[in-house]
Amino acid sequence: MEDGNFLTDDFLRQLINVGEVDILVGLPTHNNAKTVGSIVHTIRTGILRSFPRERAVIINADGGSRDGTPELITGVSIDDVRRDSGVYALRTLHAISTKYASTPQSEVAMRTIMAAAELLRAKACIVISPESESVTPEWISNLVRPVYSGGFDLVSPTYHRHKFDGLLMTNLLYPMVRALYGVRIREAYMPEFGFSGRLGSQFLGQNRWNDGIGENGTELRLTLAAVTGGFRICQSFLGKKDPVEGRAADLVPALRHSVGVLFSALEPDFNAWSTVSGSQEVPSIGTDPELILDPLRVNRKRLRDMFVSGVSELESVFQTILSAATLAELKRIAGLREEEFRYPAELWVRTVYEFAAAYQKSVISRDHIIQALAPLFRGRVFTFVVENRNGSASDVANHIEGLCLEFERLKPYLLEIWKSKQ
Amino acid sequence: MNPTTKDALWYKDAIIYQVHVRTFNDSNGDGIGDFLGLEKKLDYLQELGVNAIWLMPFFPSPLRDDGYDIADYDSVHPSYGTLEDFRKVLDSAHQRGIRVIIEMVLNHTSDQHPWFQEARISQDNPRRDWYVWSDSDTRFKDTRIIFLDTEKSNWAWDPASKSFYWHRFFSHQPDLNYDNPAVREQMWSVMKFWLEMGVDGFRLDAVPYLIEREGTNCENLPETHAIIKELRRRLDEQFPGRMLLAEANQWPADLRPYFGDSDEFHMAFHFPLMPRMFMGLKLEDRKPITEILQQTPEIPPSCQWSLFLRNHDELTLEMVTDIERDYMYDMYAQDKTMRLNLGIRRRLAPLLNNDRRRIELMNAIVMSLPGTPIIYYGDEIAMGDNISLGDRNGVRTPMQWTGGWNAGFSNAEPEKLYAPLIHDPVYGYPAVNVAAQRESEHSLFHWMQRIIAVRKSSAVFGRGSIEFLYPANHRILAYLRRLGNESVLMVNNLSSAAQAVELDLRRYKGNVLIEMFGNNLFPRVGELPYLLTLGPYQSYWFRLRRV
Repeated sequence: MEDGNFLTDDFLRQLINVGEVDILVGLPTHNNAKTVGSIVHTIRTGILRSFPRERAVIINADGGSRDGTPELITGVSIDDVRRDSGVYALRTLHAISTKYASTPQSEVAMRTIMAAAELLRAKACIVISPESESVTPEWISNLVRPVYSGGFDLVSPTYHRHKFDGLLMTNLLYPMVRALYGVRIREAYMPEFGFSGRLGSQFLGQNRWNDGIGENGTELRLTLAAVTGGFRICQSFLGKKDPVEGRAADLVPALRHSVGVLFSALEPDFNAWSTVSGSQEVPSIGTDPELILDPLRVNRKRLRDMFVSGVSELESVFQTILSAATLAELKRIAGLREEEFRYPAELWVRTVYEFAAAYQKSVISRDHIIQALAPLFRGRVFTFVVENRNGSASDVANHIEGLCLEFERLKPYLLEIWKSKQ
Repeated sequence: MNPTTKDALWYKDAIIYQVHVRTFNDSNGDGIGDFLGLEKKLDYLQELGVNAIWLMPFFPSPLRDDGYDIADYDSVHPSYGTLEDFRKVLDSAHQRGIRVIIEMVLNHTSDQHPWFQEARISQDNPRRDWYVWSDSDTRFKDTRIIFLDTEKSNWAWDPASKSFYWHRFFSHQPDLNYDNPAVREQMWSVMKFWLEMGVDGFRLDAVPYLIEREGTNCENLPETHAIIKELRRRLDEQFPGRMLLAEANQWPADLRPYFGDSDEFHMAFHFPLMPRMFMGLKLEDRKPITEILQQTPEIPPSCQWSLFLRNHDELTLEMVTDIERDYMYDMYAQDKTMRLNLGIRRRLAPLLNNDRRRIELMNAIVMSLPGTPIIYYGDEIAMGDNISLGDRNGVRTPMQWTGGWNAGFSNAEPEKLYAPLIHDPVYGYPAVNVAAQRESEHSLFHWMQRIIAVRKSSAVFGRGSIEFLYPANHRILAYLRRLGNESVLMVNNLSSAAQAVELDLRRYKGNVLIEMFGNNLFPRVGELPYLLTLGPYQSYWFRLRRV
């Protein structure tokens, strides 16, 4: 069992009172009072509606909220002390909270939730983003049930998303995880997910929590751990996912938490991914996700400008990361006029793979490598937006599939530069 | 000693043993239990420690509903003996300090009762209006059917008088018409007959259904309460110190009026609590228990709830929600043959998988919550049931006294017994019997003896107030009972795993806890939460004492 000493005495006391549970819902928060109230009520409704007989707990790991977020969560407890005439429940439902720090650290929050899950011997655990205002009671069932009664160890979500939402997922994470690990998980860096107690315990015990590589992106590392550990994975359709406001400006942190984690996992996982060829679908539960095609204004000029200035300003950095041919090609397209500009799939895949190899060798600071990818990603997004501006759902799906195949096709190239870099 | 000369509130301190004469002991070898057989076993009941017995119907009857279909109210069924035999039981019980409560079925008679036989002769018969008749079966449409598994309607066609008659239970049990003053007078005469003989109280069967009114559900009507008030007035005037116990399977709020202003029933069964105790145990969560008790209204000081785990009927699930009922069925009666009407026809031990720890815990709770506990015969030795027998007969098999011939119940040939003995390897009489448990120091019988003795050691259990503690650990059901200067603390672990619990006992700072079974001291209460650990299904009873 994971050393639980990092949990506070007060939290341990709360866990003792909760006791063994069947279902654990984790909510990592930091100043989410604006959204978390309705989310946690929806979670409670989902539990009561779909799992009225099961022992369940909602666990909040809070990074020092000052807006009353924890109180909103603990307030949905159902017990025999506070009577809520509007709610019927067969049994007690605990909603407990612990403050782990004065600043948010998703890794600590996730570790707290997983340690609690292990101590409570939770059979099925899910994590819900405190910003997911789209959450419905059905989400709870769709995430829990595959683990609780379906025998799966990891439930990755799928959503109806706008075609230009989740571009980091569609243009990098999904195709790269698919190509390298051989599994077609659409949302490998997932805001909501479910996992079994078995997977949680094993992941908790991997003890990569304090070695610097796993400070963020625990969600992605859990996915990769499930894949490399041979755990049963499925995808479960949740519904429409609204993008979170203000997220567009957070590209570099998002790259750190996702691409950085993926790159850092490639070294310890080398034996697992280097032998994989092709990719397999994972079982999917529920409706197939659809792309939403509503018109959406994207500032393409800004994307291209940031790409062009990035290529120019970071040339010396790129010289340490990229091959001469790739860099030359990037410089060439940076010189194209906007209407001619195109960042083709093959060049994008080579770029990403060369970044991954450079990351593995630590040719410069790894964080600088991740930051340097940002302007290039914007260039790739420009092309994706232009290519799919008027595209139908199947057009967009075909473009994503084409990119995935390109990642798979060029995987030998990654292996080649990976080994040569060694 | 005649206990009837003592405290008028005797029923608050009682521990009642429910027994059917037919099932307990056969003195004449005809295969059917009888009064003289029962009398011989009164020493056993005294040894167990109970101080009241409730006898199920023993009146002449066609026995199509185990005696709840009475054909003569002023006599006893010949199979059980004579009126003289009954008097003998009454006197012997009183000599041992044991009160005797008998069954009285007011709502209906057997269709074999002479009153009904007369009533159906013609529409002009003087007895005609003693029952509820109709030309159609559409009256009182809003009334539920209780025996859903057997009855399609509350009306039955009488071909003799070519009319429908009203029955809330089986169609062979026509309801008496309490709008008729002659019926009310007659039924008081019946009660008076037995009270004059010396019985200490009545368990009045099916009381919510005495009166019917169009446009209502024909339950708990004001006119019904008026009838009960009149019976109570006469009882208090003519037979002070006797007791009326209501069988009214209703929600607590609907039950409360049956106590009136101390002018209706002295006691009433708390039906909704019982299934919730089983639910709380299976859920390992005190919530169902505390919630129903929170919803239970205060009753007048002289009144008392009657608490039970099991009885002669199915474990009724009428007073639970649909979700709760489904849960109970799935948890306690997966085999559908165990289900009857809206309930589960099983005994205590099989319901609890013969788990001694759970049997003890449930008894500890029922013995310590506010109310008077009732023990169903045989449950003190964890007798089993026989679900292959129809209706509720599976929980009415012969008492298992020994491992010998017919379980010591009867000298008759086995095929003559009124019902087959339990033979299975777990609950069969060779394994489960009084004689064996008397010999074993750690038997359930001896444990029941001890808990009864502890309960009887203090009036706080029967008469004290209750205050629930709500420790954050929901698996722990903890409460304080108080009477005058005496306080006792009950802590029950509903979980199959050991539990730690912190109790807020600051108000009792300076008190020590004395465990009531071993009289052992526990640490003094201080400012900090009082930490206790309990094993699986463990129960503690503490006396709080300032030292």
